[in-house]
Amino acid sequence: MIHKEKLLLIIQREYLTRLKSKIFVVTTILAPVVMILLLVLPAIIQTMSGDRVRQFLVYDETGAVGQELVAGDSVYYQLTDADPDSLRQSLMRGEIEGYLVIPHELLDGKGSAVFYHGGTAGMTVTSRIRSDVQRVVRDIRLDRLDTPPEVRHILSERVQTENLTITAEGEEAADSDFYMVLGFIMGFIIYGAMFGYGAVIMRSVMEEKTSRIVEVIASSVRPFELLMGKVIGVAMLGLTQFILWALAGAVLIAVAGPVIALFLGAGPETAEAADAAADVAAFSIPAIGPMIWISFVLFFLLGFLIYSSLFAAVGSAVDQESDSQQLQLPIIMLIIIPLMFLFPVSDDPASTLSVTLSMIPFFAPILMPVRMAVLQIPIWQFGATVLLMILTFVVLMWMSARIYRTGILMYGKKASFRELWRWMREN
Amino acid sequence: MSDSIVRFNGVTKKFGDFRAVDDVSFEVRQGRIFGLLGPNGAGKTTSIRMLTYILKPDSGSITVFGIPAGPETQARLGYLPEERGLYKKMKVGEQLIYLARLRGLSRQDARERIRYWLERFGAYEWIGQEVGELSKGMQQKIQFVATISHDPDCLIFDEPFSGLDPINSEMLKDVILELRDAGKTIFFATHRMEQVEQLCDDIALFNKGQLILNGDLNQIRSSYGHNSIRLRFTGDSRFLSELKNVRVNNRSTNFAELRLLQDADDQAILREAQKYVRVQGFELVQPSIQEIFIDSVTREDRS
Repeated sequence: MIHKEKLLLIIQREYLTRLKSKIFVVTTILAPVVMILLLVLPAIIQTMSGDRVRQFLVYDETGAVGQELVAGDSVYYQLTDADPDSLRQSLMRGEIEGYLVIPHELLDGKGSAVFYHGGTAGMTVTSRIRSDVQRVVRDIRLDRLDTPPEVRHILSERVQTENLTITAEGEEAADSDFYMVLGFIMGFIIYGAMFGYGAVIMRSVMEEKTSRIVEVIASSVRPFELLMGKVIGVAMLGLTQFILWALAGAVLIAVAGPVIALFLGAGPETAEAADAAADVAAFSIPAIGPMIWISFVLFFLLGFLIYSSLFAAVGSAVDQESDSQQLQLPIIMLIIIPLMFLFPVSDDPASTLSVTLSMIPFFAPILMPVRMAVLQIPIWQFGATVLLMILTFVVLMWMSARIYRTGILMYGKKASFRELWRWMREN
Repeated sequence: MSDSIVRFNGVTKKFGDFRAVDDVSFEVRQGRIFGLLGPNGAGKTTSIRMLTYILKPDSGSITVFGIPAGPETQARLGYLPEERGLYKKMKVGEQLIYLARLRGLSRQDARERIRYWLERFGAYEWIGQEVGELSKGMQQKIQFVATISHDPDCLIFDEPFSGLDPINSEMLKDVILELRDAGKTIFFATHRMEQVEQLCDDIALFNKGQLILNGDLNQIRSSYGHNSIRLRFTGDSRFLSELKNVRVNNRSTNFAELRLLQDADDQAILREAQKYVRVQGFELVQPSIQEIFIDSVTREDRS
């Protein structure tokens, strides 16, 4: 029934004209650039803000803690003999940025050190002071008890807990944090892609309608062929973009660590950032299995097909984009609902709620990859979901094509849901 | 008739309760210019959309080249819709090749034909430009090329002259006549009656979805006889309203077309006119197509 050569021609046109368009080139290049910036910017900002010299006065009643603090960083901390009242005055006059009061009972495990500041300290400063004081006080107290180094080592040691999932085939290491984040990223990318490419389809239908070219095309091909060609062409475009991004991402991950290190250089200020960079590099170590990639591409495609058929129907029913909002609303709701369940589903991917939601064809494109990233789902769930989605697509495509073939010829008015229903039932 | 290219047989198309085309039957013969006439909303565009297989009739049948309207007949038709449109962002050449290939031409054939027609219209230099960069008139030419580039046997023009300047109109008219002489069949819809008189061999009059008059234009006109008067005069035109047994069409300050009703005496009207104005021209003629149209529609509405 479908004329293959015509369909191929349409797919070719839809794909190639968009591939060559400025917007495609720009978004393809810009998205990874934005990602690089997001990765690198915090590090750069941290390096830049390190330029400002910060200094805090320490009023020490213990006669030990202050010295140790200054010994650790003589710029950051400076001992003072001025009493707290005059320090308070100096702070109010803006002569000092802040001061730390160490009461003498602190070394007895009582009371607390108090850090006074004018509201300018910020989280980095307060958390650094907290950890410095804790370390110094702990060390002094351990010294006083002649604690052997072995004990100190135990105290400062971090105990690792590993998460391993055991699959039917045997044992498999899993970094569940990593996979959860991966699932999230995939869910969000699919969400964005369904929206973005859905809008591309809608605008494309609308453009053909308002430019009236559609009547010429419809006198050469069946509207269904035009619609299918459009959907397939844009899906291929989406895949092309993903492949380009995946390549860029692979390069990015390979170079991210060294690049960040390059930006950071040496220096005590950036030690933490360097650690963070190392973390980023380490983050790429868990392997992303082929099943995750396949499911990601598969669910993106199926989701795109389902939603693009809906967006196409809306595009054919209106003359201009501003009229489309009311008709788009149900579609937008369907895309957004699974986002609200991202957390519960990734937190407990095997719960009845998670399984049910992720198998609903409209939600599956976002929730299934999230679940599949975190755990190995039973094959029947995967199969059933894919089957349900294909069925949904076929039914929706059939309905949309009927709306579409009437809608593209209706000029000058905005259709209501009732009219869409009527068009659908027309012979 | 063996040489009929298009045949509508009892065709009806409804939109909801509205009968856009109501039990219409007619034929278009090969090598003729067939005019589909009627006021806006008479069912012309719906008929054309069924002919081009964009819409399907609710009942009745349409055959083109002897086979039912469908994908095969689409490729042999060239359709210029009333509402013109092209892809604005696509280059002229790419776009024309695409449209021709959708109608079954090979890339090579498409390229040659498009080159021929673009040169013919003096538009070959635009081949690499985006359509959106061209003027309205230029776009019209491109669209015309898109309609005929696949060398269809039957061409369908819906209001082809709307929006064309006089020079391009003349050029288009020449091409239409040339295509007819080359054996193509032209299916031509318009509500501008004067164009019909200049171009059409056969006509079909539509009103409110129904076909009310159909046949050879000359035969139709001669069947009405010489029962119209063309009057040119100088003076006060108010007397026209006083004339009895005539219907006044096309009146202006110094010209009027009068239709004789019943057995009105043309000489009596001449004498009457001379009382009020200075008559410069008085001619008994066949009725204009506009007159025939109004006559048919009013008769239809009365019955």
